[in-house]
Amino acid sequence: MEHFIDHCCEKCFNSKERPCDVFIECCLEGPLCHESESCKNAREAIVNKYSHSPMFREH
Amino acid sequence: MYDRHILICAGTGCISSGAVEVKDALIEELGKHGLEDKVRIIMSGCHGFCEKGPIFIVYPDDVFYCGVQQEDVAEIVEEYLIKGNKVERLLYKDPVSEEIVVSHDEIMFYSKQMRLALRNCGVIDPENLDEYIIRGGYIGLKKALQMEPMAVVNEVKTSGLRGRGGAGFPTGMKWQFANSSAGSKKYIVCNADEGDPGAFMDRSLLEGDPHAVLEGMMIAGRAIGADEGYIYVRSEYPLAIKRLRTAIGQAENYGLLGENILGLGFNFKIKIKEGAGAFVCGEETALLASIEGKRGVPRHRPPFPAVEGLWGKPTCINNVETLANVPLILRNGAEKFASVGTEGSKGTKVFALTGKVNNTGLVEVPMGVTIREVVFDIGGGIRFGKKFKAAQIGGPSGGCIPEEHLDLPIDFDSLTAAGAMMGSGGLVVVDEETCMVDMARYFLNFTKNESCGQCIPCRLGTSQMYNILEDITEGRGKPEDLKLLEELAWAVKKGSMCGLGQTAPNPILTTLRYFRHEYEAHVNERRCPSLVCKPLLQYLIDQEKCIGCQRCTKECPVEAISGEKKEPHVIDQDKCTKCGACYDVCPKKVRAVQVVSEGLPQTEEHLPCEEGCKCQS
Repeated sequence: MEHFIDHCCEKCFNSKERPCDVFIECCLEGPLCHESESCKNAREAIVNKYSHSPMFREH
Repeated sequence: MYDRHILICAGTGCISSGAVEVKDALIEELGKHGLEDKVRIIMSGCHGFCEKGPIFIVYPDDVFYCGVQQEDVAEIVEEYLIKGNKVERLLYKDPVSEEIVVSHDEIMFYSKQMRLALRNCGVIDPENLDEYIIRGGYIGLKKALQMEPMAVVNEVKTSGLRGRGGAGFPTGMKWQFANSSAGSKKYIVCNADEGDPGAFMDRSLLEGDPHAVLEGMMIAGRAIGADEGYIYVRSEYPLAIKRLRTAIGQAENYGLLGENILGLGFNFKIKIKEGAGAFVCGEETALLASIEGKRGVPRHRPPFPAVEGLWGKPTCINNVETLANVPLILRNGAEKFASVGTEGSKGTKVFALTGKVNNTGLVEVPMGVTIREVVFDIGGGIRFGKKFKAAQIGGPSGGCIPEEHLDLPIDFDSLTAAGAMMGSGGLVVVDEETCMVDMARYFLNFTKNESCGQCIPCRLGTSQMYNILEDITEGRGKPEDLKLLEELAWAVKKGSMCGLGQTAPNPILTTLRYFRHEYEAHVNERRCPSLVCKPLLQYLIDQEKCIGCQRCTKECPVEAISGEKKEPHVIDQDKCTKCGACYDVCPKKVRAVQVVSEGLPQTEEHLPCEEGCKCQS
């Protein structure tokens, strides 16, 4: 999972044809539709990769 | 995971100063030292401090390097990234205290700002949607899609947001009009036709945070019931257009733009229309005509665009900065937004601070801060220790605020009461060496040339006012011209059809109001106190100082200067064209050539009335 749009696993169904209504929340707090430590870590890795300073997430 | 993140400003200003070359050099140097996996390079949007570009910030340490060139990169990598020694010569030096400042938070230019509209500019990679989402992007849209359209309108009304493009019309009210207009097809138009010379806040926002504008448009679309939006942007902004296109493509790919957004049944598409450069196309009805492929000229209102706009359909037109504020209001709530600013002007305003100040660039301040704070704290005061004379606020159609109003709070109502206007946010600071009559002439020249010519008060009025100002600055002014100029200015202001003509006289009216003595010196004494208006100047050679070096005689293009070597020279005033070449070449230690404006001889037609005359000229 390089980007938020990538599926974390086969349980993620978000697509243009079937958009997920909690996609935005899921990027930061997900996964929301299933429980998986590795899927959670994959999202956190994206957040951490881009967070260059403490203020980055203080918005 | 990266040890360090390096943000290189990739706004238009820094790119023109060499930011891309700096990035290329950095990639090469990191590669040489095997650091490519340890250090992440982010080409960010504009940091606002354009005169110090290219800007290069190292996180998490927050070390602010400025004016970095490609040849400096090896030293930064070797000395700082590897050895931990800061490269002092590239750190910011405060122009007043002359102290070196390491962290960008501690630089006065930034520390007094409040960046809400510019919250992501210089912080994220504008071409990376994930970064925008991490910074809270599209949460406002999600909230809006879960609310009823009128609830969205009411939220924006409660926030007190007013249009940032010039007039300051309440945004929520504008949305309400469009919401209540009948019709199933409606449009949102983003006015990115930033035409004021020197203003570049819209360009920086589009370049540095394009998703904020797209999100703002979609929220507006939800509020009024529109499913289509246009961004009308100057074709002179190629980088902004490129990043907008990238952002639109990304949002479509993420399901945040297009059909059934976020699965909540909302459809919205955005198209880009490039403007061809006419200043008047920033006026909303002219802009709509231009999108429709017609000649970009304003039309009478009513009907207002909210009722009958693009292709005859209800249309809501908002400025870039206005739209960039909208996601924040939805995300954090109207009350939080309204907690910043003054009673009648909520939130912040971005200004393009320029002119005779030490720190120039893009600054965002809470409404209600004083002009003094912007000029002396953020701007670092007047260059070369000169004296502040005025601040021209609001672009070419704005007004000049004098020194006695330095403590005037910057908000829509205070500026209007002082004869200026917020406009799009141009803020030009002038010092004692600026002639206010010449400045009014300069701005009138711009508005005269940009008048579309459709209505007579603007077409003829701006030309006539310009002619009078030209006469005054060239020594042909008459005392009665001031009264005529003032009458004409009010006539143009009241009689013009659109905002261009209605505001074009502002520079004249405010300079007449606050600097009338300068006009009087020009017309009564034929003298320019600021030594700017060439026809009213004389170049003289001080006979006691002149060493007869003959530099001026050699440089004078019209052979107006005579004198033997090592003997004092003389300028023949009949031949002199006042080009200033003699002044420029006269050795600084000697300073024999002097510029004076002591009043040219009056011709009969220029003689003022005798004392007690009641003609009021």
